[in-house]
Order: sequence, then C-alpha cells, then structure tokens
Amino acid sequence: MRNYENLVIVKPTLTAEEIQSSLKAIEEIITSNGGEIATTDSMGMRKLAYQIEKNERGYFHVIYYSVAPSAITEIERRFRLNEELLRFITIKYDSNREIKAWNTLVEKAQKKAAFQTKAEEVTTVEETPVVVATEETPAAEATRSN
Amino acid sequence: MSEKRKYKKRFCKYCESKVDFMDYKDVGALRFSLSERYKIMPRRLTGNCKRHQDMISVVIKRARAAALVPYTVTRKAVITQPFENLR
Repeated sequence: MRNYENLVIVKPTLTAEEIQSSLKAIEEIITSNGGEIATTDSMGMRKLAYQIEKNERGYFHVIYYSVAPSAITEIERRFRLNEELLRFITIKYDSNREIKAWNTLVEKAQKKAAFQTKAEEVTTVEETPVVVATEETPAAEATRSN
Repeated sequence: MSEKRKYKKRFCKYCESKVDFMDYKDVGALRFSLSERYKIMPRRLTGNCKRHQDMISVVIKRARAAALVPYTVTRKAVITQPFENLR
C-alpha cells in the first residue's frame, strides 16, 4: 500500500447534484480497485488559470487515499474514460518526508471537512464567479483595441 | 547609469523557514518563486538553494498542470489577479 493524492477537476456545466454523483463515481473507482480513502477535500468551483476544453471554471476535488501501486494504472485508465473530468492529477507520496506531509495534509482536510459540516447551514451559494466573468470581457476588449 | 540591481543575492528563504515539503495546491506560497509572467524565477535572483529550487520547480509544474497557475501570460489572455481569484 502506498499513499496517493488525486486532484480531479469536474466540468462546470453539470448541476450540483450531477457533480456530487460524478464525484461519488470517482471515489467508487478508487475503492473498487482496493483503495482506502483517507479523506476528501472539495475546493469548490474555481476559476481555471487557463481554458480547458473551452471551460473557464471547474469544480476542484482532492482525494487522499492509499492503494497498491499496481492499481494506479487501472484507476488512471478509468479516469481517462470519464468524460465528466476535465483534468486529473495523481501524486505519489513515497519517501518518509512525503508520507509525513501526506499525514498532515489529511489531518488538515479532515479538520476542514468537520468545520464545513458545522457551518453547512450558514454558507449560501457563492455567486462571485459570475461577476468575475462579466468584469473580464471589457478588459479583454480594451487590450485588443490598444 | 547608476542603475540599481533589481535583485540581490540572498540566503534561501525556504531554508530559513525550514520548509520540508511544498504543496502544489497552496498557490500563495508559490508566488515568491514566480515572475510577473508566471515564469519560474531563477536561483540567481531569488537566492534559493539548489534543494529547494528543485522542489519548487516540481511543485510549480504540478500546479500548472492542475490549472492553478497559468503556463503563459499573453496580451490577449490577461489574468486579473489570479492569486486572489484562486483563493
């Protein structure tokens, strides 16, 4: 068993329920290949640094887990077949120093998750990305005219 | 003529704060080693030691692949304060 971390970016065009179900499917892929999920950390809808398949935004989700190294190729193959994913990144935590870092990251994510469940009722839907998108277009036009 | 040198050879910041591991998701921390155009800053300008420069270059490349940090900044695709947006 070795420690891994997977960052997946889900398409922003899906609805909230569809995103959750696709994330569940992704976690199912890992567990069905003998992986043990330590924690998950959803970073939420974010602006991408550059366009991916003409999408400006994406739903970022991080999964910390441990599996046998041989299962990784199969997991990545299944990810590649999944059309709801814009991007995924697998990171191996192998050396002693990295394993230590992995443990701290997992702890941090668990704390964050516990905090979020408490404040779930308080948090409302974030509408900020929409505002950002509208602000951007005049700026882009201005640079072109120059 | 008396143009000041923009950067001074310095000690390694990461050594000073004893950084053992860098996380590619922590975009704010990468800022120090990125130029305005999101190039990886050379060691001779930042004063990083070889060990930490190797670490940061790997981490920045990961963050680029994860669309957390742009590969390039062109005049067409200007990014307005991406670090603030990403947080």
